[in-house]
Amino acid sequence: MLPPFWSLVEAHGDELLVHARRLSGEAAEDVLQDALLRALRAYPKLRHAEHLRAWLYRVTTTTAIDHHRRAKREVVMDELPVVATYDTDHDDFEGLIAPLNETAQTALRLRFVDDLDYDGIAARLGCSSAAARQRVSTAVRTLRESYA
Amino acid sequence: MTGLPASLLESVAAAAVREGLADALFTRLKTPIGRLLVVSGPQGVVRVAFETEDEDAALAEVAAALGPRVIGSDREMAAPRDALAGYFEGEPLDLPVDLRLARAPFRHAVLERLREVPRGKTVSYGELAARAGNPKAARAVGTACARNPVPIIVPCHRVLPGTGRLGSYRGGPERKAALLDLEGIRTR
Repeated sequence: MLPPFWSLVEAHGDELLVHARRLSGEAAEDVLQDALLRALRAYPKLRHAEHLRAWLYRVTTTTAIDHHRRAKREVVMDELPVVATYDTDHDDFEGLIAPLNETAQTALRLRFVDDLDYDGIAARLGCSSAAARQRVSTAVRTLRESYA
Repeated sequence: MTGLPASLLESVAAAAVREGLADALFTRLKTPIGRLLVVSGPQGVVRVAFETEDEDAALAEVAAALGPRVIGSDREMAAPRDALAGYFEGEPLDLPVDLRLARAPFRHAVLERLREVPRGKTVSYGELAARAGNPKAARAVGTACARNPVPIIVPCHRVLPGTGRLGSYRGGPERKAALLDLEGIRTR
């Protein structure tokens, strides 16, 4: 028999928030709130009462990934309105960034084609995460200015 | 208990209620006779537990009867919280109750009759047995009271032995004495 849902929340809520923080940083509370609601919707349909803690971790992870995807779409719209109008088709994108120098092109490809976060870009470029962020934002600014 | 922010938990509870996802709601309330756990279903309060009882067991009992989506929220339980706080300040207590956790028909009948005993009045086990339709069942009335799922709201503290003594109580005799004292009834 399934235990009262809130007993799970009270027993595991703290560690789930830590987990959400690891995945989503500042958005952790929003992610966890959403994850608990998703879990609650599915709860009566669970077929057995085993591994409920692991199940809550899974729901939290999935929710964090969904939030991340959604946030990234919004970031792309925010940071790169020029690209958005070009429909991010591969050829269009390459044509769009062609006027930039090689460093800027690489940074933009890693960010918007390979979809890497700044840590991922830093690892590829062999620089710090802050430097990666700097390169991407400089490239975006240059691009904007060149099409303004 | 959890260290999660209360605002997060209340948001989850509010959304759950809005979506109709809550089988039952509960709150913990500080009172002059200690902490109370109060649990409500769609039709009313189903369970009140004293701090001396096993809280997990009380919530599990509710989950088994109403469903597992049992959710804690002070805000969604504001009405019963206010009503109980008012009771301890001397106001009459009139909250809807759901007696489904008292399954046996006679126990159910006893609790229904007991609801009609007002604040400040008492009744003997024998008299309550008669009102519930079986004058010889004073002992069964004792059991019904001892297992009353919603003490205070269904006032089993107002049931006294014919001897004029205090008798027993689910929350312990000292709580029974305190409730009667609150209602202006002196006991030995």
